Amino acid sequence: MIGKVLVANRGEIALRIIRACRELGVRSVAVYSTADRDSLHHELADESVCIGPPPAMSSYLNVPAIISAAELTGADAVHPGYGFLAENARFAEICERVGLKFVGPASGTIARMGDKAAAREAAAEAGIPVTPGSEGPCESVEEVKRVGAEVGYPLVIKASAGGGGKGMRVVEAETEVEAAYLGASREAGANFGDGSVYVEKYLERLRHVEVQVLADSHGETVTFPERDCSIQRRYQKLIEESPAPGLPEDIGNGLMAASADLIGSLGYEGAGTVEFVYADGEFYFIEMNTRLQVEHPVTEMISGVDIVAEQLKVVSGERLEIPEDALSPDGHAIEFRINAEDPSRNFLPQAGLVEVYNPPGGPGVRVDSHLYAGYMVPPHYDSLLAKLIVHARDREASIRRGLRALDEFAVSGMETTLPLHLAVLEDEEFRKGGVTTRFLADRELESEGGLLRLVQHFS
Amino acid sequence: MDENRRDPLPLREVERLVELVRESGMDEIRVRQGETEISVRARPDVSAAPPATQAAAETRGVPEGGQTEYSPEMDGLHAVRSPVVGTFYRASAPGEDPYVQVGDTVSAGQTLCIVEAMKLMNEIVADVSGEVVEVLAENAGGVEYDQPLFYLRPDEQ
Repeated sequence: MIGKVLVANRGEIALRIIRACRELGVRSVAVYSTADRDSLHHELADESVCIGPPPAMSSYLNVPAIISAAELTGADAVHPGYGFLAENARFAEICERVGLKFVGPASGTIARMGDKAAAREAAAEAGIPVTPGSEGPCESVEEVKRVGAEVGYPLVIKASAGGGGKGMRVVEAETEVEAAYLGASREAGANFGDGSVYVEKYLERLRHVEVQVLADSHGETVTFPERDCSIQRRYQKLIEESPAPGLPEDIGNGLMAASADLIGSLGYEGAGTVEFVYADGEFYFIEMNTRLQVEHPVTEMISGVDIVAEQLKVVSGERLEIPEDALSPDGHAIEFRINAEDPSRNFLPQAGLVEVYNPPGGPGVRVDSHLYAGYMVPPHYDSLLAKLIVHARDREASIRRGLRALDEFAVSGMETTLPLHLAVLEDEEFRKGGVTTRFLADRELESEGGLLRLVQHFS
Repeated sequence: MDENRRDPLPLREVERLVELVRESGMDEIRVRQGETEISVRARPDVSAAPPATQAAAETRGVPEGGQTEYSPEMDGLHAVRSPVVGTFYRASAPGEDPYVQVGDTVSAGQTLCIVEAMKLMNEIVADVSGEVVEVLAENAGGVEYDQPLFYLRPDEQ
């Protein structure tokens, strides 16, 4: 086992990694910006190094500072968490060059899967269904029109280097192609420094399902039962659950088999997630994330596997240790992302002093968070404050447990997404299960006696 | 003033000033350009409601982790801090004399030490003129971003 890991991240995920290190007897090094001097990851790691001022560009994205911190502290490996440098192929390559183990796949794999058009090609080559559309990037308006004539409208134009809905345009008819193509390309160039785009058939009513994978350097790969992440707002996931409610068994097995084929063909190492859309009884590959994901605890709860610990074993050259029964789901788990955003003011980000912090407890409840009473939420980083994960015998019981735990959860000093989650759990459609990614967009938030309620539009 | 010809509010500038006040711990920054004057003032921490005796030592904005105890900066000493994470060297090469010794008088812009980061030698210069009072980092040891390296006693203006 490696001796010392530098955690190149902050917030709850830095804590998550430090905790896994502690349990494995691996020493941990935290890096932090001057805005995070009072943060728990800085307090709980064995060592810590201040790497820069508050802006992420100068601290958590500052490659020379992070590499220097690893050298000064004698770290053997760097765990990037999610976000920041987690899918930066150049950073992974620099780690490889200076002899630091990067906790993740090889830099070449990150680069290939990071280019969404190239990832589609890789999936198609591995024999996995991809959404009908262009084979690689589209170079011209004419090419988009050609694809449109072939697969039909509506289409969606997406940035090759993209994610999170940036550089994305839905095209309803051929007359809209030109403006949409140029707009998407410009936006992609501005956001990702790469204006190349590709085209897919636009599926309106779809569910987002994904498969957690783990692979070691001895050729063993593991795929876990699917997660459903259809509750999203503007392409940001808010609630994730596993298994996906009401998904036919052959589809679930198909997702796992397709994911295993893809990571097998890539020679993948470490943890990753293969993302699919599911619509009208068919599933299609959309992208692969070559890193640990925010929602990994959902899979941990129903499998009993510590995914971060397995990542550290893989990077040490050891074999995965996954018991056979871990792959058949034990009950049902749901994760709620508690963000510092005000749902009744268009999800305006919040920052400031956490006055009261009382996370829920009791059976089947897990909270991953870096908060404490008296903590100042800095305005410089993302808004995730805590992840509440509930686990119970079946979906109905985990919804009841979720309602109970959300109700217990007290955070004061700022508005959060807690009341939104309660409203989602009260929604009849959600309770039935199998809602699409349009769930929140189709609903209005109404305030009722201090509580939020979702009301469906009828359009 | 003609109401209709007012320039748009320079919000970006204000944002930078707020940042500056927060990071520097200063009470107030005021800038004026033409007709526009902006003043950004730090708000005393109301939620903490510190006792009056403690209030004098209180730094505003960013909480400093209870660092309200004595610091040499209160005696008018000036800290030269490391701008990067790296290895601290007092001399330009092994065997050479250190750039500066305690008691030396340095002028603004004079090299005090080197912080090496990823094989790059960053010369750290004095940002004020004055006397070197203390060397705070150990030669060939690691230093973090913002770590004090030297205390200087600035010259009287």
